[in-house]
Amino acid sequence: MKRKKRNWTPYILLAPSLIYLAVFFAWPMVRSLSLAFYKDDAQLSLRAEASFTSPVVGAIPQAATVTILDTQGNHLETAVDSGTITEVWYRISSSGADGAAAEGWILSDRVRVDEESGGVPTLGRIRAVRRSGADPQSSVYVQPGSSHGEVAARLDAQTEVNILELVTLEVWYQVSGTDREGQTIEGWAQSAFITRGEQDPSSGFIKKGDTGEWTLDFIRAMVADRFFMSALTTTLLLTVITIPIQFVVALVMALVIQARLKGNTLFLYLFAIPLGVSELAVGIVFYLLFTESGYINSFLMGLGLIDQSITFISIQTRHWIIIAIVLAEVWRATSIVMVILVSGLQAVPTELLEAAELYGAGLWQRVRHVILPLLKPSIQVALILRTILALQVFAVVMAISGGDIVTTLSRETYRWYSEEIRNPNMAAAYAGLIMLISIFTAIFYLRAVRTQEEAAIT
Amino acid sequence: MTAEIKLTNAGVASAEMQAMRRRALRRLRINRGITYAIAISLAVWIILPIYLIGSMALTTPAGVRGFPKAIFPFTDISLDTMSFFLQSQGILRGIVNSIVVALITLVLSTLIAAPAGYAISRYVFRGRDFYRLAILGVRAFPVIVLAVPLAVLFMRMGLFDKTYSVALMHTALTLPTTVLVIGSVFASIPYELEEAATVHGATALQAFRRVVVPLALPGIAAAAIFTFVMSWNEVFAASILTLENRTLPAQVLNALNKSSPEYQFAGGFFMLIPSLIFIFFIRRYLFNMWGQVTK
Repeated sequence: MKRKKRNWTPYILLAPSLIYLAVFFAWPMVRSLSLAFYKDDAQLSLRAEASFTSPVVGAIPQAATVTILDTQGNHLETAVDSGTITEVWYRISSSGADGAAAEGWILSDRVRVDEESGGVPTLGRIRAVRRSGADPQSSVYVQPGSSHGEVAARLDAQTEVNILELVTLEVWYQVSGTDREGQTIEGWAQSAFITRGEQDPSSGFIKKGDTGEWTLDFIRAMVADRFFMSALTTTLLLTVITIPIQFVVALVMALVIQARLKGNTLFLYLFAIPLGVSELAVGIVFYLLFTESGYINSFLMGLGLIDQSITFISIQTRHWIIIAIVLAEVWRATSIVMVILVSGLQAVPTELLEAAELYGAGLWQRVRHVILPLLKPSIQVALILRTILALQVFAVVMAISGGDIVTTLSRETYRWYSEEIRNPNMAAAYAGLIMLISIFTAIFYLRAVRTQEEAAIT
Repeated sequence: MTAEIKLTNAGVASAEMQAMRRRALRRLRINRGITYAIAISLAVWIILPIYLIGSMALTTPAGVRGFPKAIFPFTDISLDTMSFFLQSQGILRGIVNSIVVALITLVLSTLIAAPAGYAISRYVFRGRDFYRLAILGVRAFPVIVLAVPLAVLFMRMGLFDKTYSVALMHTALTLPTTVLVIGSVFASIPYELEEAATVHGATALQAFRRVVVPLALPGIAAAAIFTFVMSWNEVFAASILTLENRTLPAQVLNALNKSSPEYQFAGGFFMLIPSLIFIFFIRRYLFNMWGQVTK
């Protein structure tokens, strides 16, 4: 404004705020959209062999059923998480069936441990094979991990073995299933991603995927959610009812302030109080008015109008809850509109209003033809701000209705990311919807005001 | 001209004039009376809920549960309800957390916003209008959208359920308002004062430190207090970002469905008090910001 130097100082001064808002504002906004539309674990890729270095042969969508063809133990490549299935292999030595010494690896399931030292098994016996028709002998392999490897020796049941070493391996499954295109593919995947059938160990399903993809699944799930329609309609209804009332009350407040009564500053302070009051506290106050033993019931009873309490807050009386929420919102958020309108009015030249009065314009005419047109920029800002804030109404709803009888979009966002459920995708879908409606209303207000101006010019 | 007309008409129409003047005066008085009536009823509308919850919070627990309630409460003033609330599980910790979060937010937000506010009020530069518009856009943006992705990020980085992570989020929420308020504070200090100081031999930095800072300090303090109040009141993000280390509103919200009326009313009142005091101190500055925004 005043210094007309061209230098970098202003940019340097703005930099911290820009960086901060980029990290804590722009990034979360983009990330929120990707949470709503991107499924991290949509597909599980299968590999030609049981190794991460092996090429991917295809991918099977999450929740698809697969046939488990084979298993293999691998040395742990990643840290063990809760889903990882492991198997233990023993390196054993014993005298084989023919009396020759045998040494090799065997799956720990096949050995009954007889002796341990310090928790490490040292001595065991080969278990008997129970299934009829199965191979009565157990194979000992040169390498641990696979039952297809080179066999070092074959041992009878009950053979005594020395356990020399043990290794914990991560299990991979070889599965066969159908991909998105309907083609049958076969390949290996880590067991952590697959749930094996308890009844039938040869079948399983994909528990989660390892590759993400863009999807509308969360949006569909949101629309199909039982609270969705109720939340959407209630949010819009509350916005549509609350905002006109707030603007009328705020305008009246602003005109009262403009009238410069005695005690003007006191009135100004009183009208501005709700600006700093916690949303949750306001919700609790209006809940206090409307409960069965609340002030409204007390008042009506005191006047002798009723004999027993009216139940305002129940599933049957949703309209009363809506009324209570509207009153609470009008109480709470009219101040911000009032403040914006008063600042706008301060910029209106008093001569204009005096002139209008001199020419015999009544109050209504002055408001309609002088004050409102001059306040248009203020009203626009207030309207956008209030609408967007009204779409987020949260704590008031929670306090008055407990958050279930009457629900809003923000309450659903909270439901999907409170301590019981932590589903960031659904929460982001609801939040994204609030953002979408906010942006559309803002554009609508900006355009509506502009077209009016253009119409006035032509 | 007018004096002449008055003189010529004085004798003829003085009675008529006086009657007119009296009528006009009466109409003015009536209008004034109506305005007062409206002002007072609006004031009552604002005060009544605060008075009612105050009278609930400052009575005995039996009084809270009693029905029908007296229309003029405060019959038996007692601190039992308040002390019951303050001794409830998690409340003291919630208060401490809330204060810590609000203080970190206040410091961070003011430190980041003050230079930005100075820049937008003192310099003309390319992108200035865009910056102001963007800041206003951020101010109006739905907070709810930010909370969930930040919670996911904080969870991954091990910052979840920490007071400072809530403060980081609150700083993002309050920053736009603080920038605009501080900007308006600097804008209200005439540049000529700075210029005069430099003319008298001060360097630009000295002029800033000796002239601008002392004048701007009360306004910046007001902005900082408002930041504190916004953080103290914020409930959605605080609830999403915490589990054990809840702030006071998050704690009360979480306990809402399982708690007694005493707890709720005392909690509501307790959250309300600081705002009443703080808004009183900064009431003059509330209008600065919006005057500037709508220009």
